[in-house]
Parts: sequence; C-alpha cells; structure tokens
Amino acid sequence: MSAAGVAAPAAGGEGGAAPVLEARGVTMRFGGLQALAAFDLRLEPRELVGLIGPNGAGKTTAFNAITGVYAPTGGEVRVGGARVNGERPHQICARGVARTFQNIRLFKELSALDNVRVACHLGARAGWAAALALTGGFLRDEARLTRRAGEFLAVMGLAHRRDEPAKGLPYGEQRRLEIARALATGPKVLCLDEPAAGMNASEKVALMELIRKIRDDFGLAILVIEHDMRLVMGVSERLVVLDHGVTIARGTPEAVRRDPKVIEAYLGDSYLEERHIAVPDDRPGRKS
Amino acid sequence: MRAPGLALRSLLPFLLGLPALLALQGSLSDFWASVLITAGVNVILAVSLNVVNGFTGQFSIGHAGFMAVGAYTAAKITLAAAGWAPAGLPPRLADGAVFLLALLAGMVTAALAGLLVGMPSLRLRGDYLAIVTLGFNEIIRVIIENTAFLGRATGLSGLPRRTTFAWAWMGVIATVVMARRLLGSTHGRALLAIREDEVAAEAMGVDTTGYKVKAFVVSSAFAGLAGGLLVHLIQLCTPRTFTFVKSIEVVVMVVLGGLGSVTGSAVAAFGLTLALEGLREVQEYRMVAYSLLLIVLMLTRPTGLFGTREAWDWLPRLPWRRRPEEGA
Ligand SMILES: Nc1ncnc2c1ncn2[C@@H]1O[C@H](COP(=O)(O)OP(=O)(O)OP(=O)(O)O)[C@@H](O)[C@H]1O
Ligand SMILES: [Mg+2]
Repeated sequence: MSAAGVAAPAAGGEGGAAPVLEARGVTMRFGGLQALAAFDLRLEPRELVGLIGPNGAGKTTAFNAITGVYAPTGGEVRVGGARVNGERPHQICARGVARTFQNIRLFKELSALDNVRVACHLGARAGWAAALALTGGFLRDEARLTRRAGEFLAVMGLAHRRDEPAKGLPYGEQRRLEIARALATGPKVLCLDEPAAGMNASEKVALMELIRKIRDDFGLAILVIEHDMRLVMGVSERLVVLDHGVTIARGTPEAVRRDPKVIEAYLGDSYLEERHIAVPDDRPGRKS
Repeated sequence: MRAPGLALRSLLPFLLGLPALLALQGSLSDFWASVLITAGVNVILAVSLNVVNGFTGQFSIGHAGFMAVGAYTAAKITLAAAGWAPAGLPPRLADGAVFLLALLAGMVTAALAGLLVGMPSLRLRGDYLAIVTLGFNEIIRVIIENTAFLGRATGLSGLPRRTTFAWAWMGVIATVVMARRLLGSTHGRALLAIREDEVAAEAMGVDTTGYKVKAFVVSSAFAGLAGGLLVHLIQLCTPRTFTFVKSIEVVVMVVLGGLGSVTGSAVAAFGLTLALEGLREVQEYRMVAYSLLLIVLMLTRPTGLFGTREAWDWLPRLPWRRRPEEGA
C-alpha cells in the first residue's frame, strides 16, 4: 500500500539512475528568519552523504523540510521521482524516507521491542476489526512484525534490551534504538540527525562503521548530519556544507575540507580550534 | 475448519462469561443487581474513555455527551418496539433481540457523533479536544432540552426495564476485550506511540490524525453502549443523567485507576461506584469530592493507582507467564 508508485532502488546502482531523494531549491522561512535557502540535493541509491555546518546552519531544518515536519516555503522535494511537498510526515515515511531525531524522540515508556514494532506498523496488513476479532491473519501478522522488529534490534546490537523500556537504556543505545526504529519502517533513504552526538570517541567510530554496514546490507541511501568533521569525512562519499541556511560547498570530503569558505565558516564558529580538528589527515579505519 | 476455530477464539470471553453471569444473576438481590449494573456501566465508561485519554494521550472530557446519544437512540428504539410481539417468537426472545438491536444502534449513532466531533478537533494538537468535547456535552444537552421528539427537559419515561446484571456485564466484557485486544495489537501500539511522542509516531509512518479519530470513534461507541444500558436500568432518559458532572466522574475514574491501565480503570470505576452507593447522602457534594480526590491523587500518586500497568503485572512471574524469549 505504501510503496505504490515508488521506484525500487536501481538494482545495479548505476550513476544515471533516478535519485531516491531530490531537493530542488528548498527554502524554509520562519517569520523573518531564512533558515534554509535554495537547498539542492540529489541522493542516488546507496549513496552515503554527509550534511555538515556550524550550529544553527539549517541542517535539522533541511531534514524537517524533507520529511514533511515543515511544509517548505519554497522549492520542491521529490522522493523516487514523486513530488511530496505538502504531504504529511507519515506519508513521506511510507514513500521510503525515514529519520532519526537530534534530540532523541523515543517512545520512552514503551519497550525497545515495541519502539521498533511501532515502526513496523507500515507493513501491517491486518486492520482494526481483525485485531479485535483475533483472526488468524492478525495473529500471523503480529508474529511476523514481532520477528521483524527483533531482527532490527539484533542488527543494532540491542537484542538484549528487547523488553526494557526505552527510557532506561544508556544514551548510546537510545541513539542506536532510534536507528533500529527508523530502519524498521523499510526506508530507501535514511536521514540521521547527529546519530553520534553524546557518544564517546570509540562509540562514535563504531557507530560510523555500523552506519556504513547498514548502507551496504540494506542497500539504502543515507544522509547523515554530524558535527564531528573527522568522523563524517571518514564515512561519507560526498558532503554538503550549510552555513546560515546557504549551501556554501559540496563535493568529496577532500575537496570540501580545503574549501576556503568551509574553513572560514567553521573558523568563524571557532569550531575547528575548539575541537583541534583542523584538517583531518587520517580517516578512521576504512574497510574495503 | 478455520472458521469455527476463529469464532471460538474470538468469542471465548463471551462464551465463558455468559453462563457465569447468568448463574451469578440468580443469586443477586434487586438492590445488588442495580448497584452492580451501575458499576458495570461505569466500568464501560471508564475503560472506553481510557482508550482516548490513557492509550492515545488525548484529553476528552465530554464522554457523557456520547453516552446521551447512545441512550436516546436505544430508548427511542425500545419505546417504538414496545408491545411488538411477532407470532411464533417467545416474547422474552423478541424483547432481547430488540434490546440488542437498540444497544447496537446506540453504539453506531454515538460513533457517528464521535466522528463528527473528532474529525475537526483531533487535527489540532493540545487542549483543543478538551474544549470541543466539553462544548459538545453542553450542546447535546441543549439540543435534547429543545427537541420535543426527545421529550425536552423531562426526557423519555416509561422505558422497559431490560438491563439485567448479565446484559450489563456482557457489555463490560465486550469493552474490556476491545481495550485489551486493541492494546495488544499494532494499532494499539500506534496509539501508545502517539501518546509518547506524536512527532516521532508520525515520522515512523503512523497516521496520527487518523488513529486519534479512530480511537475516539471506538471510545464514543462504547460510551453509547453504556448510555443504552443505563437508561434501561433506570427506565428513564433525561438530559440530567448526562451532564458535565457525569463526564468529570468518568475522567476521575480513569485518572484514579491510571491513564493507560484497563484493569486500573475498571477497578477505580467499580470502587468509586460502590463508594458513592454507600454515601448516598453526600451525593450532592460529588463535584467537591471529585476535586479533592483529584488533588490528593496528583499530590500523592500522579500516575493513578495502577499507572500504565495491569493488575496481573503484580502477580508473581509464573512459569507459564514467562517473557517471550528471543527467537520464540
Ligand atoms: N520551528 C522553528 N521556528 C523558528 N525558528 C527555527 C525553527 N526551527 C529552526 N529554527 C531556526 O532555524 C535556524 C536553523 O536551525 P537548525 O535547527 O536547522 O540548525 P542546525 O544546523 O540543525 O543546528 P545544530 O547543529 O545546532 O543542530 C536556527 O536559527 C533556528 O533557531
Ligand atoms: Mg540540528
């Protein structure tokens, strides 16, 4: 029901294939504030793209405009070729765009399993009447959703937390649970908003590895916001840099990191100085 | 082969419940029967309101309005069918069939009223629903008081007494089964997700508006059932039965039992009904008592008696109640 009209990810992943996600001149204005100006993005199947920029650059706003939390004030968003402006977030999710939240938004009182099962909801076939009558179809459907949710928990290394309420999980696991939940919606594009925020250095490296593995195993396109330049450069194939809502650079990590506008934006934020990450020259353990 | 299996699983609580209720009914005095019917009606109200206020995290305070819609619909039907005696059908069976039809019709009209009220107000977040349901409760009262067909302020009298202990508690079983089965399904989890975080639920593919409206419609239908049952106990249908005070009473029961706990709502509704029955002299001060009760509750146990848990969560972990293990 959900995926109707959405092109499946191109099998060969050839360059010329239709982008799974496309933003054309997306603009987001809050009163007098232009939080995002003429934002362009083409995300090909299986691409891993980093979205970076100083605080308040408009990164989260870009996610919100893409996923329908806000209706863009200008431009258009296309998912699998179809224009989705004005659609509600659940509709855009059904088209195959899933996301996590910068300020973790788990269903706190629900168990880890139930958090993921809610996200499996799109795949549910039995309706309310079947649930209330306890039909065989409904019971099989529930068993299937539960199995599926358990698999996503396992992928994110959370199988041991299955029955624990989400609010009780350690911070790093809560972030991973958010990713498990997003994956369970069966996306073609995964948007991760600072998935490593608040983690320690080794957790961050492990998470980036995991993100790359998810991309490979599930064949997803991933758009990731991350403050740690070294990390995001290590994991992404392409970067888009925002500053004050404006896209100031885009390209390979090597090109972006030498871009004077990027250095200026980050220096202006005294970001690189603070974190001693001027020009990353080693990239965290890249496996081929 | 599958159809009988389905019917059995689906109807098991009713098949077990009916003989038990009929057996109990025989040994009840008139006084206790009417107290327990009233308690049953309140359990239906509290559990059904919990679907909206507890599961879904919305705040409706006009449950009595939907109760009124169901009550008047059912009353009109049983009044119209009074004296209807088809040849060849035992009168008690005919009466029972008419009553069942009247209750179901009451559920349908109450559900439609729920759709009418829920559609516009559940689109918006926050306290909008509280205001609209409160207004609806009053509007229903005003409409009844100005409609000759519905007997205006004096209401409809001379209703047949149809609600027995077994009828009322079959209604309770239906309501509890609905709530528990909903809660155990993906649809119920979607409602809980809306309560926990509406933005995240929407982002995970839950049509939050659609789900809130559905929950509200189902909840309203059962309020209508409670209305139909109540007026065929007291044999009178007047707007005074369905005032704002009644709505608040149901809210108090739900909050007292614990928002989200089916057994909590049921226990609180049952207990509060018995307490009110024992304190008939002070019934006039109900609103004061409810306010005090709510204040004490907020100060001492804001999650209600049960929180979001169910009564059996306190049972020792018996072997056959082991948690589902991985891969199971
Ligand atoms: N709903 C809103 N209403 C008004 N202003 C907003 C809203 N959401 C974001 N903004 C503003 O838009 C700008 C961009 O915010 P955004 O959250 O997108 O930044 P960000 O790049 O994600 O920053 P951070 O790295 O701190 O998360 C900020 O100035 C912010 O205050
Ligand atoms: Mg942000």
